[in-house]
Amino acid sequence: MQELVLIQPSGTAHDELARDAAQADARREFEERLAECGPLAYRVARGVLRNTADAEDVAQEALLRAYRRFDRLRDRARFRGWLVRIAFRIALDRLRSAKRRAQRDTLWSEPAHQPRVATAEDLAASAEFQEHLERALAELPEKFRIVLLLAAMEGHTVEEVAALLGIPVGTVKSRLFFGKKQLAEKLRCHVKTTKTR
Amino acid sequence: MPCENYKNALIEAAASGTEPQAALRMHLAACAACRAAFEQEQSFFNSIDAGLHVSANPEVPTSLLPRVRARLDDASAPRRIWAANWLVLASAAAIIVCLFVARVVWRPNIVRKPAETAGKTSGPPMVTLSPHNPTPVVAPPLGKESDLPRQFVIVRNATAREALVIGKTMPEVLVPSDQDILLTEYAAQWRLHKRGPLLLAQNSDVTILSPLQVAPIQIAELDVRLLADEKSQ
Repeated sequence: MQELVLIQPSGTAHDELARDAAQADARREFEERLAECGPLAYRVARGVLRNTADAEDVAQEALLRAYRRFDRLRDRARFRGWLVRIAFRIALDRLRSAKRRAQRDTLWSEPAHQPRVATAEDLAASAEFQEHLERALAELPEKFRIVLLLAAMEGHTVEEVAALLGIPVGTVKSRLFFGKKQLAEKLRCHVKTTKTR
Repeated sequence: MPCENYKNALIEAAASGTEPQAALRMHLAACAACRAAFEQEQSFFNSIDAGLHVSANPEVPTSLLPRVRARLDDASAPRRIWAANWLVLASAAAIIVCLFVARVVWRPNIVRKPAETAGKTSGPPMVTLSPHNPTPVVAPPLGKESDLPRQFVIVRNATAREALVIGKTMPEVLVPSDQDILLTEYAAQWRLHKRGPLLLAQNSDVTILSPLQVAPIQIAELDVRLLADEKSQ
């Protein structure tokens, strides 16, 4: 009579299989969010850095970091806000590097190439307005900048911005108001400067 | 030029994007300059909103997602390589630790070993005396299998000698019968000075040692004479 022997895999191999399966699940889940949230990360980075190539690098880095820490995120519904904060932080870190700041300051202090514009409306119609706006935006405090960007991004409502950043709706409204006001002041100063030239 | 009292209110109303309050609304209805300024502020903030929208919604490069996916693939692979490297390093460290521990544990033996080896190399060879074989035979050196220290064994009895030789526990040196006394003398001296053990194969066959009898030297008295006396003679 033949004896049948059931050979079970060793504990290490079993653990390895379980780990691989969990990793595959996490990868699948992350992939599902990637198509939706990848552009968001890019836009946040682009809003901070104002540079396409850098923004793409930062978005990749943010998504990669999010993937590595995906298992630490308990509430997966908060993935978008979590990713936004990661991308924003990485973009700010990059922006703070001395070299880029020096380059930006140099560009800011070189107004010779800027053409004269008569009014704010005319300025808005031009590409220069966009450039000035982005520079003024970069000078805003971080808490105002991210709120302004997210509110303008993908048609987010105030409530959605509040949910993304994990702050109260009233705080978002307040920051939107003061951020826009500061932005207008900076732009107005620049309009006056260009008018006098 | 707007009225100074309403200037800030105008800006704030335009910035918030909400309807102006009742007092401001009444003033705007009455003051054309403030109305124009308010319209200008509204237009300005609309431009900011439009600029923000453009700035916040750039076109996403098509290469972004494929690159991210590629990096995700890479992120999984190096992890395993790192894990493999980690295992290799851990194994190497464990081997090193084991070797170190083994060295520490076996250190006393290693310390004792040189003394033993010195005793083996410096000691005289084992000698077997056989009265039946007049030809001196020098046995080969001790093999590695033998752990016994080198000793002198003097065997006169052929049976005992054969037992020793067959057992191959010790090499032997066979000398002629007229030289055995010298060898036993040498063995006695070596035993006294080197404190080495003298193994006797059989008590009954041990050669009884007797000291050498040397006659005292006799020196004749010198006859000293002067040279002058000798010449005169």
